[in-house]
Amino acid sequence: MVNKMNILNVSEGNTASVDLTEPKIKAKKVNVYYGDNHALKDIDLNINPNEVTALIGPSGCGKSTFLRCLNRMNDTIDTCRVEGNIFLDNQNINDKKIDVVQLRARIGMVFQKPNPFPKSIYDNIAYGPRIHGIANNKSELDDIVHSSLKKAGLWNEVHDRLDASGTSLSGGQQQRLCIARTIAIEPEVILMDEPCSALDPIATAIIEELIEDLKNRYAIVIVTHSMQQAARISQKTAFFHLGKLMEVGDTATIFTNPTHEKTKDYITGRYG
Amino acid sequence: MPHSHIVSSFDDDLSQLRNKIVEMAELVSKQFRDAEQALVNNDLKLARIVRETDIQVDQLEQDIEKSAIELIAIRSPLADDLREIISAIKISNALERIGDYAKNMSKRVVVLNETQKLDVNLSVVSQMIEIIDIMNKDVIQAYMNKASDKAISVWTRDIVVDNLYESLFRELLTYMMENPEYITPATHLLFVAKNIERAGDHLTNIAELIYYIVEGTPIEMVRPKGDYSSEANVEFTS
Repeated sequence: MVNKMNILNVSEGNTASVDLTEPKIKAKKVNVYYGDNHALKDIDLNINPNEVTALIGPSGCGKSTFLRCLNRMNDTIDTCRVEGNIFLDNQNINDKKIDVVQLRARIGMVFQKPNPFPKSIYDNIAYGPRIHGIANNKSELDDIVHSSLKKAGLWNEVHDRLDASGTSLSGGQQQRLCIARTIAIEPEVILMDEPCSALDPIATAIIEELIEDLKNRYAIVIVTHSMQQAARISQKTAFFHLGKLMEVGDTATIFTNPTHEKTKDYITGRYG
Repeated sequence: MPHSHIVSSFDDDLSQLRNKIVEMAELVSKQFRDAEQALVNNDLKLARIVRETDIQVDQLEQDIEKSAIELIAIRSPLADDLREIISAIKISNALERIGDYAKNMSKRVVVLNETQKLDVNLSVVSQMIEIIDIMNKDVIQAYMNKASDKAISVWTRDIVVDNLYESLFRELLTYMMENPEYITPATHLLFVAKNIERAGDHLTNIAELIYYIVEGTPIEMVRPKGDYSSEANVEFTS
């Protein structure tokens, strides 16, 4: 009865993305090892389009490791071994034939600390479209830069100083610049690893408002240490603990009536 | 028992909130017992004390609401903590209503004392209040021990109060038909009985809230109903 009710609640609010649409990403039995350390254990998780999925859990639980699996960021770590399948639109991204550069164009990422290039605001955004050959001429590139800045909610603040260095912006602006840089190459999924942890509450609210808007176009996966942030912006929440996915469900249910004792202890701030 | 919070002052705040709820429930329970004594013994002094206690009950309700709102603002509670704090507000509202019923009953003691004496057996009223008293105590136990099974037992007991009310309702109507002079005292007694019956309903609501705090879902049973007085039609025979 309880499950039935949850399904009802979910389908009432979000029929298209939860019940009827094919997940954008399907992770099947994902295992990750750092040397002998078994960091992720048999993770099965779907990421739906037009939805924000929050990954929560204590430090070291594997949530960032999982996030990094989704665009093969773990490839760069020598000792790291990833097993299992991750399907992006039914294509296994762990396949050796996958072009990782192309993959990362489809699955963009925003990091904890804003990391703009030490270049102008304009060039920060134009960089991706240039290397991927997305724009045919200067005017098209201008359009992409402008529209990306607008989508990232930064245009009004920087339109008169696109030549200024990206690093001259405030922390919140830099993070929005990074988001603009990510969406400039029209990805399908955006991964965010604690994108607001270095920002003040106002900048955080602006980013959250932006995420709300971005989810209409992209699937978003966000790692966050803030329960309130996960509750505010996500539709689905997944709780990781000691490398296992303990519980995943619609966010309202996770935060009012979690099934697993470990989830409850974590989100209510108890020893567990 | 759930694990303790890492921030121990949160546990302290929660237990203070719980203590206030229990204090309020015990006060209201006493109000009801006193109202019954005042009624049965025509004790106007005790009736006044019951009325005056209402100020304390109202104050506790306000304290609980204030604490709950502060807890939400300061602690950002989630899961069972959130359910408990929201329910504390609702439970205190219900207890305040129950206190009002006791107050209302004790007001009627004064009028009943002044009007035509009705030779009605007050033992039904006493029985009803006795069950309310048991429900009240069980509610406190269920609340303190987070015992959802105990909450269900309170919930199912309300039907007895309803049945007693129903029978008293019919009896009082009959009195009124016999002698118009009985209309005033019988009507007041009817309201007394109705107050007790409503108190039972509110205790049932509290039991439902306790179940929700513990289990995270509403009780999924049909609430037992024993009061059909709203459908009663006693034939007038003279």
